[in-house]
Amino acid sequence: MPGEPAKRQKREEYKKTLIENDAALPKKKFYRQRAHANPFSDHSLTYPKSPADMDWASLYPTYAVEDKEQTTSRSHDNDEEEKSTAVKALTKNVEIADIGCGFGGLLFALAPNFPDTLMLGLEIRTSVTEYVQEKVRALRVQNAATGAYQNASCIRANTMKFLPNFFQKAQLTKIFLCFPDPHFKQRKHKARIVSYTLNSEYAYVLKPGAIVYTITDVQDLHEWMKGHFEKHPSFERVEKVFEEGEGKDGEGMDECVRLMRSETEEGKKVTRNNGMKYVACFRRLVDPAWP
Amino acid sequence: MTSPYQCLVARESTETGPGGWTLFGACGSTLVAQSSSGGTSAWTKPDDPVTETQPQDEETEGPPEKKVKLSQPPKQQKANFSNLIVSSDGRYLVGVTGEDKCIRVFETDITNQLRQLSERCMTRRPCSIALTSDDSTILCADKFGDVYSLPLLPSPDYQAPEAPAPEPTKEAEWVPSATVLTVHSGRNRKTLEDQLKQKKKGPAPPKDDMKFEHQLLLGHVSMLTDIVNAEVDTRRYIITADRDEHIRVSRGIPQAHIIEGFCFGHEAFISRLCLTQSGRLVSGGGDADLYVWDWQNFKLLEKLPLLDAVADHLKSRSELAVGEISKVAVSGIWSVAYQDEILVACEGVPALFSFKVGATTNSGSASTEFSSAIALKGNALDVAFLPISPTSSVVVVSIDHVHKPGSTKEAREDKDVSRLQCFSAEENGKWQEDSHTSEALKSFHDQVFDVEAGAIGGDDSATGNGKGLGSADDKALRDMLYNVENLRKRPGAED
Repeated sequence: MPGEPAKRQKREEYKKTLIENDAALPKKKFYRQRAHANPFSDHSLTYPKSPADMDWASLYPTYAVEDKEQTTSRSHDNDEEEKSTAVKALTKNVEIADIGCGFGGLLFALAPNFPDTLMLGLEIRTSVTEYVQEKVRALRVQNAATGAYQNASCIRANTMKFLPNFFQKAQLTKIFLCFPDPHFKQRKHKARIVSYTLNSEYAYVLKPGAIVYTITDVQDLHEWMKGHFEKHPSFERVEKVFEEGEGKDGEGMDECVRLMRSETEEGKKVTRNNGMKYVACFRRLVDPAWP
Repeated sequence: MTSPYQCLVARESTETGPGGWTLFGACGSTLVAQSSSGGTSAWTKPDDPVTETQPQDEETEGPPEKKVKLSQPPKQQKANFSNLIVSSDGRYLVGVTGEDKCIRVFETDITNQLRQLSERCMTRRPCSIALTSDDSTILCADKFGDVYSLPLLPSPDYQAPEAPAPEPTKEAEWVPSATVLTVHSGRNRKTLEDQLKQKKKGPAPPKDDMKFEHQLLLGHVSMLTDIVNAEVDTRRYIITADRDEHIRVSRGIPQAHIIEGFCFGHEAFISRLCLTQSGRLVSGGGDADLYVWDWQNFKLLEKLPLLDAVADHLKSRSELAVGEISKVAVSGIWSVAYQDEILVACEGVPALFSFKVGATTNSGSASTEFSSAIALKGNALDVAFLPISPTSSVVVVSIDHVHKPGSTKEAREDKDVSRLQCFSAEENGKWQEDSHTSEALKSFHDQVFDVEAGAIGGDDSATGNGKGLGSADDKALRDMLYNVENLRKRPGAED
């Protein structure tokens, strides 16, 4: 691609300046990346062998269980890396996952609203993940006095393949799927983040009563997500008031739905373009008894 | 030249008295059957698509050799068997032919004639199949990660849920799912314009759907490699393994959408799962060890050092001239009937490795020990157990007589190597070559020559290149026999 080296050089120079200034918020323009990733390919991803192997403490240092020993994150693909058995645990588990968090707009809106809940953004694009991580770091420095944003973090992950590697059964209370890649072509539908078979994995990591939030500006995708969740016996659609509220102020609307409508980057873009926003939320049901 | 048997499976046949058995083997696209009484038969995929329909098939029960000779269209799609299983009652044989993605169900009768009852082509290539314990349902795990259930015997009154008639009208009203509001970039806007233009040309031809009874049960976003049906007390489970190191335990039908848990621990792909007699799960693939699981509690019990066993064995056979090995790819794990023992085969290794699962102690822990390696004359391809008595069985191993032992690429120089080897257990638990059974299987061994000679003859008359299945070019054969190591992820592979 023409201009590529110059772009890379600019980005590298920019990132050097960030190292010098801890509290500076990163600029999106240096982290833009193509909006699509192939979820089926073997990216050189790192992921824990199991949830128990996940190094959470480095993501949420203030919640780390006291353990002075500093260990490098355990990567799956790298066998040479020394493996510590002292996996760093947290005093509480992550409960909110923003899958495909993009530039983290929702994450940064949720963090102050749920100060005692740990939340994790998962994003497949490297640069975008880096942006969110930089922003988390900067916000933590800026808010060192209040300890805000210690509850938010972001990692690069392919959740379609490895969600259960990160979270245990029934660990999460909320999953956000905001403006996912619509994969318009029929042939690509298996790459959509919602499908009947993937919904089983969402059900696995969610507690009974937990909510999956979806929002999209593509009606076709909205119908697709609705169809696949409604078909899945582990989920039910929530009440209308939860998604839309009542009256023109939207009274009774779930706080997270409100944030999801307004705070995501895509949400803002759609508002600018006077586009439609389709919201659908689903509640995780209790598993039935064995037959 | 003949190709080896890539699949073997056996069943008990009590019609011929106690200790009776039938052995089935797949050699390319040909199935061969032999019973303990000595009768053999063969089945080859009919060439003419018209004759493939069910009723025709039932009537034309002639010798398969003839069928092959009748006509061989120059570009006939090959359909080599990649899996063979037998129903627990022994009446049905279910095979998967990879190239045409077909699941074929055969009925076997007392004379061991194979009669194809159905062929159902899936949209994705099946990687592994299993039957539910009541033999009613086939579980099919495919290359795209999905598991479908299909009735073993399709009910005759099944109607496709969607009548094809109303679809065209629906498609005529097709609207692109993107709109000017959802499309933001210039390039995407262009695509949308193209889509609208395309719309005027009429709808795209509908996709070839599976027009038979089937149900999507579950799915991974990864290639599935093996599927196991398990039943504990009254609970049914489906265990699936994939290329991304996952072993998933789901509930059985009708709750297959519920994931009970995962057995985490593998660091390379998983290729095979096996339930032992005592109900433990053994998994293997690209890792140096086999893993033994208390799978209902998702707990790793122990690791069995397979790579060490393979390396030691190869070292002890200097005539093979195989250098140091650093990795293995498990191509088969079998639970030995009537005892808590497993046999393991690795791709391109001329031996089977036996592990004895130790007795359970009070604490619930048990250790599995490497017991011995069974040296083979060629690379192990598949294993079947002939139930010769109520308490013991004979192991039949299919041998790669085309490639050098220890190699998946080089052709071997010595010819006339048997394609089968048989072993029976001695008093001391060691496996000894069983020449008696080998002799009994001679017609099974030789039968194929006939079929394939026919195939080559037919080929000659049709295309003149003399390339029947037996002499199919080496790469095709290699790809058919050795496809496990390919599952390994290449370091640094970036999209």
